[in-house]
Amino acid sequence: MSDNIYLPQLARVAYIKEEVVGERSIKTFRVEAVDGKLFDHECGQCAMLSIFGRGESMISIASSPLIKEYKQFSIMRVGKVSSAFHELEVGDVIGIRGPYGNNFPVDDWRGKNLVFIGGGCGLAPIWPVITTAVAQRNDFKNITVFYGGRSPRDIMYRTELEKLRGSADVHLSVDKAEEGWDAFCGFVPANVMDKAPNPGNAIAITCGPPIMIKFVIQNLREIGFKDEQIYTTIENKMKCGLGKCGRCNVGKDYVCVKGPVYSWAELKDLPAEY
Amino acid sequence: MEKILDKKQIDGWVAALTEHPQGVGRGCNAAEAATTTLWEVHTPALDEGIWTYQPANGTARLDHPNTKQSPKEFAFPQREIFFSFEQIKGEAPRLTQIVPKEQRHAVFGVRPCDGRGVPRMDKVFTDHIEDKYYTSRRKNIAYVGLACNKPPSPNCFCLSVGGSPVSSDGLDVQMTDLGDRYFVKAITETGKAMMAAGGKLFADPSAADQKLLKKTHDDAVAYPQRKINDPDGAPAKLRANFDSPLWQEMAQACIGCGICTFLCPTCHCFDINDEVHNKAPLSGQRVRTWDNCQFPDFTMHSSGHNPREGTGARLRQRVNHKFQYFHENFGMHQCTGCGRCVSECPVGIDIVTVVNKVTEHVG
Amino acid sequence: MINIQDIRDTARDMLAKGEARMVIGYRRGTRGMLAEPAFITDPAQADDLVWDPTCFNNLSLYLVHDKKFLAHMRENPKGPVAVVAKGCDARSIVVLLQEHYFKREDVYILGVSCEGAGVVDERKLAPLLNGERPSAAAFDGDDFVFTTAAGEKRLAAREVMADRCLECRAPYPKEHNLVFGEDKTGRQLEAPFAALERFEAQDAGQRWDAWSQHFDRCMRCFACRSVCPMCYCDECVVDSITFPVTAGTTAEEKATRIKWIERSATRSENITYLMTRAMHLAGRCTDCGECERACPVNVPIRMLNNKMEREAREKFGFEPGASIGGPSLVATFLDSDPGQFIR
Repeated sequence: MSDNIYLPQLARVAYIKEEVVGERSIKTFRVEAVDGKLFDHECGQCAMLSIFGRGESMISIASSPLIKEYKQFSIMRVGKVSSAFHELEVGDVIGIRGPYGNNFPVDDWRGKNLVFIGGGCGLAPIWPVITTAVAQRNDFKNITVFYGGRSPRDIMYRTELEKLRGSADVHLSVDKAEEGWDAFCGFVPANVMDKAPNPGNAIAITCGPPIMIKFVIQNLREIGFKDEQIYTTIENKMKCGLGKCGRCNVGKDYVCVKGPVYSWAELKDLPAEY
Repeated sequence: MEKILDKKQIDGWVAALTEHPQGVGRGCNAAEAATTTLWEVHTPALDEGIWTYQPANGTARLDHPNTKQSPKEFAFPQREIFFSFEQIKGEAPRLTQIVPKEQRHAVFGVRPCDGRGVPRMDKVFTDHIEDKYYTSRRKNIAYVGLACNKPPSPNCFCLSVGGSPVSSDGLDVQMTDLGDRYFVKAITETGKAMMAAGGKLFADPSAADQKLLKKTHDDAVAYPQRKINDPDGAPAKLRANFDSPLWQEMAQACIGCGICTFLCPTCHCFDINDEVHNKAPLSGQRVRTWDNCQFPDFTMHSSGHNPREGTGARLRQRVNHKFQYFHENFGMHQCTGCGRCVSECPVGIDIVTVVNKVTEHVG
Repeated sequence: MINIQDIRDTARDMLAKGEARMVIGYRRGTRGMLAEPAFITDPAQADDLVWDPTCFNNLSLYLVHDKKFLAHMRENPKGPVAVVAKGCDARSIVVLLQEHYFKREDVYILGVSCEGAGVVDERKLAPLLNGERPSAAAFDGDDFVFTTAAGEKRLAAREVMADRCLECRAPYPKEHNLVFGEDKTGRQLEAPFAALERFEAQDAGQRWDAWSQHFDRCMRCFACRSVCPMCYCDECVVDSITFPVTAGTTAEEKATRIKWIERSATRSENITYLMTRAMHLAGRCTDCGECERACPVNVPIRMLNNKMEREAREKFGFEPGASIGGPSLVATFLDSDPGQFIR
């Protein structure tokens, strides 16, 4: 049976990095095709990853579409399948199918200022946009990145974030003050309010825990961002990724097909079933 | 093609469909049978007090009210194995697709509501991207319908949702009971071929047959049914009343079981799980099973967060899916008015009443 | 003979005086003759209450729902809930009280005696009405009277009553705050476990064949479990869908949870589900029969529970839900217990 939409392609784990350890641990994985090549994707799209015998999980692709050799995923350990991911070793083979969902309209944003606001594991879904914009630096005006974690140990992509400096303004934060941390202390929305990025010719892209997103959007609007200048992603439980299994809908649309990327102008009119 | 079939000939027609086309009959050898496209025929039969589709055994009686379960299981079985896997730790797994068997199935006695369920399921499984497990089964199924001379259930409401007790939508053949004989009409090319297989068992209809058919159909449509008062206004009203406290009130008795959705001819939600047969070396199967939006964990995230926490939100999802979301996506109600969810709910939740209450609610 | 107006008056008074925050009873449904659960908080709606042979539901289920809702909202009950309870339903409440699921003062039992009659079995009724659809049902002495388009149809109660009612040993709700109807215990129409014994008269091969077919029919819609007041566990051992996950549940707990059965509704998984459920209901099931009535594919689930009930009765003289202070089948040990393993 050709075009079996449920049959995953095989991918080998080529690289694993422990980003965050402890109760809410995050690991980054890079996977390569076992045979041939993997699919192309756009910024913001997701893939359904499987560990055979444990199940499938929808994970956003954290690498730039410009990188063809591998796909990167940063996965927080929360449940059955993500725990199985954390047990993987380099060389192990998993299943992958995709890409699923819509994407950030990056091409429409050329010539604009980009403001990224991430929290916790929410840096991963916007990371492809950040790295694409930095790789094509001349196409964009100012690039600003806000990112925060609970503590310095919860900051993911630490090295990569430091490397962004020079190409982007990077504003890190931790929730509570701690010895040795000299950047902002407080929640991410407060850091955004503190630095008050200029809404002129700008797009704000935010991802993180729902409560953070809520206050980030509230603060961005206060600073002067319009609803259509604010983009975020939403997630729901998914099984098929193809708009058939019927569980990720928000109103008439399935998030796996019409999402995960929404402007606040679109999202605010939808029922809050996510 | 329109024909008359004497009721006593129904088994003869079934036999013609299941037998070797060259007339070898059931005695044809296995090799011959494998190369021909014979039909496996299913007819409603009473088993343990419930009407179910059973393999035809020469005693077909199309006097059933409606089957307990809809015929959706033929194209969308409750359990579908996608593939099997075998994997030694650190090595690439071997995946083996499980492809549905190429076997033609003729389902007899399909009521018009269930017939109308078919194109709705087709939309779900072919829109955006084709689900080949569904389509490879679907292309081998023919639905031989039976018009409802009177509503088979006190909770029928097909007329409220754009259907009719004599609708042929989704069917390959439509039969109408005219007392001692059936009026049989081919709806599709497949239906014509099936009737042709019956050959001389069929007679041409007389003018009196045509007249009786018209009267039977007219009477069927005139027979009183349950009624949704404003089906056309439902999508907009449901959208407007999304946050109404009515939902929780109407769902207070809901026990969160799967009867309504499992019996529904158009509910298509499913789950996908890995069933492990052996841990090391790993072997097992990836399996699709029916799922149900009324189960509490249906939408629960791994974190424990549940966007549809209460029975009210879950009832709203079921009703809105049928009467708003599907309509917004495909321009038709997903519900076909079979009334199963109403009759079978252990606690009396009644989709007709629910839609009427919400659409009549001024909020 | 119960006068429904007495129940309505009581409900209205209790709500008006604030003696109950809600009355759970039965009202006329919208889909034919069947009654449905009613949740009444407004005294003006007390007149919606009905009492007839279609009042199937074991409403103690909703005491469990109420308790779960309050726990979820982190609230304490503000006054008791009054609930209409038949003999079997009241015994369910007793079991819930024995298990300290809620406190006695949280529930006000409006007992209704079945007075030797009981609820109708729709599956028995259908063939006796020749295709006519009843719109109402009523008690009338030893008969049930059904209203159909063709007029009234009177049938002897014993012809159309559910097996659970025919065999009921305790149709009178002994545990109650208030009771309607007379105690006519002892008027049971069939011997206890009669349906079970009829089945057991078959040989092992016939019984296996019958149950194999029953297990194969099960779709695992979980209606039997969902309708059962005793199946209140937050985490159900026999399936993967009832698992409480809170913000505090660790990834470890989620990842290492044992999956006893698969979601596929295949015979092996269905057997494990239904048999485990029967074991867990031993000594707790009060034979309200709701699991069997709710089953859309006619699996005789009650028979499994009945078998356990009879074992407990024969071995230990145990009657489930007999009294709040009474023993528990699996948690009480007596010197007189048969078998030596515990000594």
